[in-house]
Parts: sequence; C-alpha cells; structure tokens
Amino acid sequence: MPALDQSFAALADPTRRAIVARLARGEATVQDLARPFPISQPAISRHLKVLEEAGLIETRIAGTARPRRLKPDAVEALWDWLGQYRALWEAQFQKLDAVLDGLSDETDQAHSDNPERSTS
Amino acid sequence: MNMTPDLTRLQVAQDGETDIIVRRDFTHPPARVWRAITEPALIRQWMAIQEFPMTRCEMDPRPGGTFHFEWAGADGNSFFFSGPVEKVDAPHHMTHVEYFNGDPAMRATITTDLAARGTGTRMTMVMRYANAEARAAAIATGMTDGMEDVYGRLEALQIPE
Repeated sequence: MPALDQSFAALADPTRRAIVARLARGEATVQDLARPFPISQPAISRHLKVLEEAGLIETRIAGTARPRRLKPDAVEALWDWLGQYRALWEAQFQKLDAVLDGLSDETDQAHSDNPERSTS
Repeated sequence: MNMTPDLTRLQVAQDGETDIIVRRDFTHPPARVWRAITEPALIRQWMAIQEFPMTRCEMDPRPGGTFHFEWAGADGNSFFFSGPVEKVDAPHHMTHVEYFNGDPAMRATITTDLAARGTGTRMTMVMRYANAEARAAAIATGMTDGMEDVYGRLEALQIPE
C-alpha cells in the first residue's frame, strides 16, 4: 500500500469517500458507482484512478466488465491511520465532560427519580 | 479497589468481525452522564460539530421510542443518524438501532452501558454491524463526516502535494 498520506489526499474529496464507502459493501462497476452522483461517468473514472493510485481500490477483470473493489487491506490501513485523528471524537467527549460539569445535584433531582448519589 | 487504568481519553477498538467498541471514563456519576446522553437540550451542547449546526436533535429514551440527530453540512447536504430505541434501563443501559442517513444497509445495533466506577462512570458502547462489509462501510464513511474539520484544518496548513 502506498504511503498513507496519499490515501489521505485521495480521501480529502467527499465523492471519493462516498465511493470508498460504497465499495466497502461490495464490488461495483463504474456505471453503478456513477449512478448516485450528479457528475459524468468520465469524472467518476478520474476519481477511481486517484483511489487506485492511492492503493485503496483495485480493478478486477471479469470478461468485458471491469468492476472496482476495495483492496482487502485498505480498510485496516484506514482504521490504523484514523487512530491518529481520533482526537476529534475525543474532543466531543471533552465537550460532554464540560456539559456534565455544568449539571448540579438539584437539576439531577428534578430530572431523575433515582439519583445516583447517596449522602452516606 | 478497582485497578483498571483510567480511560480519561476514549478508547476505540474493532472486536471480532462486526463490532466496534468505544470506552470512555467520566468523572460524574451514571445518572448525570445518562442525562447528558438522553436529554436533547444537553445532547446539542456536545454533539454539535464545528461548522455543522445541529438542525434536529430528538431522543425519546423509552422502548419503542426513537431518536434523530441531524447536522447541516457545508454544501447544503445534511446527514443524520436515526432509529428505534429498543431497551432502556435508566441510568445504566440503552440498546438502540442506528441508521446512517436512513440507509438500511448502514445499520448498527448500539448498546450503551454506564457503569459506576468510584464516584464516576465508565461508558462502554458496542456498535454491532450486520457483517464485516457493513462495518468496513461504516469505517469508510465515519472518516467522512466527523473528519471534515480535520481536512479543513489540514487544508489551512497548506501541506504541499
């Protein structure tokens, strides 16, 4: 698999991310892939070329058909690479921490019949 | 005493063929975390994504209830998670089904457990997909929506090709 930076660049485009998500569910032809998008088939082919060069997808030769599919290790590589950017999710949980800090016992009482805290 | 290390930052792992597990500790008790994840007025405060206003935030945490979280994307494309609530045992457990953009192929069953841990809470979320392909699709799309921010920031850095 080429450098993950190349995958990252390939996936900076929302159409290409949508194509990858579609291919994760199984191989598809260029025609199938073009259908949901308001862009031409040649434009889709250019996106596919970028994804292929980034090592994310490959072309299978089946008679006259050329279905594209996700490379088997692509999702695992994306997952590993995503780990570096998990900070985003964490940022949401830190906002949740702040929301929790803003709640008080009094409002808990008002919203729950079974407050967690005891005075013992 | 409980010797497990604190998970003050979230931990995300793939488990088996179909699951993604998210764990995170909070310093507040389960009753309070439960409120923050079930009351729309509170959910809005932490689920808003920078640059994407949350346009719909509904949660009816009862068996047979439903939820709907929706954001307005930059180019007028909205995206949403929605589905039925199946099991509720407040303030410790909820099972719900989540569809991404209403797509039946993008279905996950999510169990959320809030366990008291000292004076705080450990949250464990198990996101279960129909099969390995559905999970792969979720990972590929998961990069999408929450990732806009990161792409935006990186673009601002103007990293050379």
